[in-house]
Amino acid sequence: MTALELDGVHTYYGESHILQGLSLSVEAGEIVALVGRNGVGKTTTLRTALGLTPPREGTVRFDGTDVTGMEPHEIAARGMGWVPEERRVFSHLTVAENLRVAAHSAADPDARIAEAYELFPALDRFADKEAGDLSGGQQQMLAIARGMVGDNDLLLVDEPSEGLAPQIVEDVVEALRAASADTTMVLVEQNFRLAMDLADRFYLVDHGVVVEEGETAGVTSDDERIRRYLTA
Amino acid sequence: MVVVLYMGLFAMSFDFVSGYTGYLSFGHAAFYGTGAYFVVLAANGQVPGIPGGTPFMITLVLGAVLAGLLALVIGSVSFRLTGVYFAMITLGFAQVIYELIRSWGYVSTNPTEGATVSGDALAIGVPYVDALSLDVGRLTGESVENLLGLGIDLSATVVSYYALGIVVVVCYFAMQRIVHSPFGRVMIAIRENEERARAVGYATYRFKLAAFAVSGFFGAIAGGIFAAYSRSVAPDGTFYFLVTADALITTIVGGFGTLAGPIYGTLFNQGLEDVLSTESGGIATLLREGLPASALEADLFGVSLELFVNTAVDGRAPLYLGIVFVLFVLFVPNGILGTLRDRLGGTVGKRLPDHLRRYLR
Repeated sequence: MTALELDGVHTYYGESHILQGLSLSVEAGEIVALVGRNGVGKTTTLRTALGLTPPREGTVRFDGTDVTGMEPHEIAARGMGWVPEERRVFSHLTVAENLRVAAHSAADPDARIAEAYELFPALDRFADKEAGDLSGGQQQMLAIARGMVGDNDLLLVDEPSEGLAPQIVEDVVEALRAASADTTMVLVEQNFRLAMDLADRFYLVDHGVVVEEGETAGVTSDDERIRRYLTA
Repeated sequence: MVVVLYMGLFAMSFDFVSGYTGYLSFGHAAFYGTGAYFVVLAANGQVPGIPGGTPFMITLVLGAVLAGLLALVIGSVSFRLTGVYFAMITLGFAQVIYELIRSWGYVSTNPTEGATVSGDALAIGVPYVDALSLDVGRLTGESVENLLGLGIDLSATVVSYYALGIVVVVCYFAMQRIVHSPFGRVMIAIRENEERARAVGYATYRFKLAAFAVSGFFGAIAGGIFAAYSRSVAPDGTFYFLVTADALITTIVGGFGTLAGPIYGTLFNQGLEDVLSTESGGIATLLREGLPASALEADLFGVSLELFVNTAVDGRAPLYLGIVFVLFVLFVPNGILGTLRDRLGGTVGKRLPDHLRRYLR
């Protein structure tokens, strides 16, 4: 079953034409990576899917339902979660409150939060600490956990490794693997190796359209069809 | 001190929406004025459907409900905007209402000057039970002799202070309960990042509207108790934008997003006003009466000390409040209570005992 489908999507920021007829589909249960240079429209693709930057043309379908033009909270309520770039947590809420706010749509919020603590023991230790006081890696864990606790069927993860130390990145990768066990995932990631390592399939985006796609197995950044779109 | 109660409550209601959702309500005086005018007009039997003599506690709540509804109307338009545009449109709404009230002949024969309660004093307590109600008012309030047989006499002003204080405390705990509820967490999430709150699944527009209505409700309670105490209302003291400015200043001095902070801010500002007052307790009067004539005539950078006191101290509170405001914005941006909480690492109630214990050990 197709979890997410973008068909001929055109998205603008003011007069800037960012997505220029982008199409992609994500099957339930898989991890799909969006790769490409900075500024080609990867984050905008996630924002378009979630309704934060609605498309002017094209359609977005989520679990078979046309969600084009729906409000973000309506789309989120249908089970689409977001782990935003730069580890943006609600910094003046405690860790527990961050999770509680995100778990409001879950059938059993307490159970989901307990699962998140089990997966991320550090968060349990700092449950009463304000999220803004956590380290970068801990904030990223919290952002991922927040995306998980809402009973989401699909998680949009934006640049999870950005600005993190290599050791912390490994922990984040493990967390994402754990999160993907029961959630479909769309991953935007600058680190090509990491993206290929995590994802089942990839879409290579350039100038607001998909220029390459395929299985990730065996793909490296030295591949000529990839390299010319990743280098400036 | 009574002014600290109603202005403090008004500033708290301002902080409730502005400090917790991040939307600056520059038109908040509209709710304060609505509560104040409703109480006075109801006491005079000028509100259709509400007979004169209806207990103050009932008219107070009805006025607050009306202000809450007004907030829904203003908010339904204003919350389509953000940032400075939201602040400006709410200010615009309030100024329109201010001008309407100033020229609304139904209020009194001279609406520019406002209206006055013509009947008995207004009572705080249990409606229709005289034994559990106390009249409040600057001159018309009730005094208490030999309180509970303890030989304590309370003047009318002191009785008013405690009676109004109970209303303020109840309102404070109600607002505090809300900001610590799941609804309050969403308000903070909206302040931190509204887009993210929407992406988590919250219809933020509805939450903001509800917060605005609650804030308008409590703002009107503040206006209502002000009206009950002063027994008169005027457009300039209620609906005018400078009333909101007072709340803004006291909230910044006390601490944005702290709820209790505005009370400290109001106390601070009022203390400064009292110290620099032209009244007998003011520092200028004390200096003039306490210093010998030779000292008052002493030269101070080319002017006499007396002239300096008359020019730069006596009744100059607004000047120093402006300076204090600038200093707070620059050096104490979290305000009195916000800074205290930062230093203690949590709320004062929770953290101060630990710190004191450590200090005393």
